[in-house]
Amino acid sequence: MHQKLSFYVDRDSFLHHLNPLTKLTLVLTLVILSFLGLSYWLPTIIFLFIIIPLSFLGKVAQEFFNATVKLLLPVVGFLFVMQAFFHPDGTQVIFSIWIFDVTVESLSFAYLTASRILTMVASFLILLLTTHPSDLMSDLTRRGVSGNLSYVITSTLQIIPQMQVKAGTIIDAQQSRGLETTGNVFNRVKAVVPLVGPLVFGSLVEVEERAIAIEARAFTAPLKKTSLREIPDRAAERAARWIFIGVIIIAIGLRIWLL
Amino acid sequence: MALVELSSVTYTYPTTDKPALKDINLKVEQGEFLAIVGSNEAGKSTLCYTISGFIPHFFHGDLVGEVQVAGLNLEESKLNEWVLNVGLVFQNPFNQISGSKFTVFEEIAFGLENLGVKRSEMIERVERAMELTGISDLADRSPYSLSGGQQQKVALTSILVMEPQVFVLDEPTSQLDPIGAREVFEVIKEMSRAGITVIMAEHKIEWVAEFADRVIAMHDGQIIIEGSPQEVLTSPLLPEHGIGTSRYTQAAKQARTEGLFSETTPLPVTLDQAVAGFSGGNHED
Amino acid sequence: MRIIESIRKDFTTMTWVLIPVAIAINVVIGQIVVVLRLPVFLDSIGTVLVAVVAGPWAGALTGTLSNIIWGLLIDPNALPWWPVALMIGFVAGWCAVLGLFKSWWKVMITGFIVAVTAAIVSTPIAVYLFGGITASGSSFITAYLLQTGRDLIPAVLSTNFLVEPFDKIATCLLAFAIIGGLSVRYLARFPRPENVEIDKTERRTQIIIAIVVAVILILIYSYILVNLLGS
Repeated sequence: MHQKLSFYVDRDSFLHHLNPLTKLTLVLTLVILSFLGLSYWLPTIIFLFIIIPLSFLGKVAQEFFNATVKLLLPVVGFLFVMQAFFHPDGTQVIFSIWIFDVTVESLSFAYLTASRILTMVASFLILLLTTHPSDLMSDLTRRGVSGNLSYVITSTLQIIPQMQVKAGTIIDAQQSRGLETTGNVFNRVKAVVPLVGPLVFGSLVEVEERAIAIEARAFTAPLKKTSLREIPDRAAERAARWIFIGVIIIAIGLRIWLL
Repeated sequence: MALVELSSVTYTYPTTDKPALKDINLKVEQGEFLAIVGSNEAGKSTLCYTISGFIPHFFHGDLVGEVQVAGLNLEESKLNEWVLNVGLVFQNPFNQISGSKFTVFEEIAFGLENLGVKRSEMIERVERAMELTGISDLADRSPYSLSGGQQQKVALTSILVMEPQVFVLDEPTSQLDPIGAREVFEVIKEMSRAGITVIMAEHKIEWVAEFADRVIAMHDGQIIIEGSPQEVLTSPLLPEHGIGTSRYTQAAKQARTEGLFSETTPLPVTLDQAVAGFSGGNHED
Repeated sequence: MRIIESIRKDFTTMTWVLIPVAIAINVVIGQIVVVLRLPVFLDSIGTVLVAVVAGPWAGALTGTLSNIIWGLLIDPNALPWWPVALMIGFVAGWCAVLGLFKSWWKVMITGFIVAVTAAIVSTPIAVYLFGGITASGSSFITAYLLQTGRDLIPAVLSTNFLVEPFDKIATCLLAFAIIGGLSVRYLARFPRPENVEIDKTERRTQIIIAIVVAVILILIYSYILVNLLGS
């Protein structure tokens, strides 16, 4: 299980210094372009010629490739195999196993889906690698997103790894007391309750005191919140964001026109 | 007028019938250090939550009587206004971390962000508060990576930075190891010396004796005795109600039965008083 | 305006603090289930929990955020399914408001309604984005149905209708058991304690029945799957 949930790598790069919203807008633009279906090869082109260069620009290429190979390729690869075999369309059979055929059409469809998912997640990966979650949330809060929502997200990012550690401890402890977590289905289903119980109740009990603690620190004060973090935003970036939005609008227009 | 004033306060938690506080009358002056002693379930925490406004605004239930702080009336105020005057720190240090911040510095600034304080002022106030509590060196650490004692000092600083008029502390050292507890205590003493009004529930009688200006003892939701530390902590009412006494008081009492401690010398509560008492010197409190 | 006011009342500080914990519960239980190699997901217990004690809107928010965080940080294939997670929280919340979270058999009805919702909402996502075949193991069933001549949408729908009820009813029952294990005093801090008033004398029995039924459901489902894949 993962111990660390934030991908952020603290480096000094052009991408790191961009305003979080600029990066978020860019990511959304790339995701929308990949899914609109304007061209079969577009997701691949975006991945190869925009996302990979961006990872170098952000000085996170090493981390980007690691995450892509370890996290992305296995799941995208699995999806590709599933679709290659099970996609129903297609007549030009390449080979078949049992009643399932791998066809030219199913392969090409599998590749399209896989490349879209890959491009979508890789775009977000670039954002997450170069943006501290607190910076992203502070910037969004400053622009009117609820500060409470920002609390929920930054807090979740810290609670999940802690709870994963706790889960690991509980699994070890219960196993050493003889709880069977392998073997037949009955044993494994039975194991759910002693594993989940202590974990869930422990963390729920903390909720009440934590609510008191943040209430004591003016969490619900009816004032406009400020931020300790200073987040730069330049006129050029504002312009860039409008350009991205323009690209999205044109792309959607093109899609409708082509239909 | 007293800074904190409770008149005839009775309170019952929701889903229970028995009141947790019965007819409490209490005044605390500006700059005073008031300690609350009592056995478990005596109502210490309930009293702390009442003064800090969480009763009735968070816990609901039935509150009768009047609670005033700095001229404001609790029932007419909202919790988010009340907490600006009264700060609360409680037992479990871990649960007092906001959970949403990655460094101690940001954690302490959390309250000021919520209050919309300007960034430059925020940094200045956080630095000043951290200096007072002596945790400047923790600024860049993750709040989760700290020891219990350090976390509790961060909790104190996080409230201190908001500059409340009154500090309510509900057994802030009870879940800490002895060294951590001592350190947190020193911070509280430092805050009191800086003129901050402190109301603290505490079960370590020796520490209460050491620096409280005034002590109240509680049992079964009522205040059973109120007065100077010497007066309250040596009162026979305490052991009668299952409240611990100072080991110095116990020693002197034992010595008295064997004629080793003068009948006329008041019973000691601190080490200094005990030394003076045993060496036959008179001491006035 | 009254709707906005009633939504606002559901989002107390307790709710805001509960949501991150609930998302973590979703993620960690989801991962424990993978470690135990069980054929169900059980990855929305936290979402249902929030929906019940803090209302449908809080449930919807929990589901959505949970899915996005899960998708971005743990399993990329999960990302496009956030509307399903949103609806699970939303519908579970309304079921609870209607009193369908007060005893184990009512909770099973909630679970069934949630399952039907999830099945319907996930169908267009599976069909449009994935051409019917997703990265989930249940796509074996869809593939089988497609090969035996079924049309795409009916095939995906039937798969979902087979898979979802077991998972979502078990999820709701386990969420019910957790809520039943919390003290009345604690539950009263949340915006909607009236959704979970369980008779005090029956509490223990209700919890035990809920857990036993959840376990039996997962076992039955495993049995069905083994036989289906075996044939």
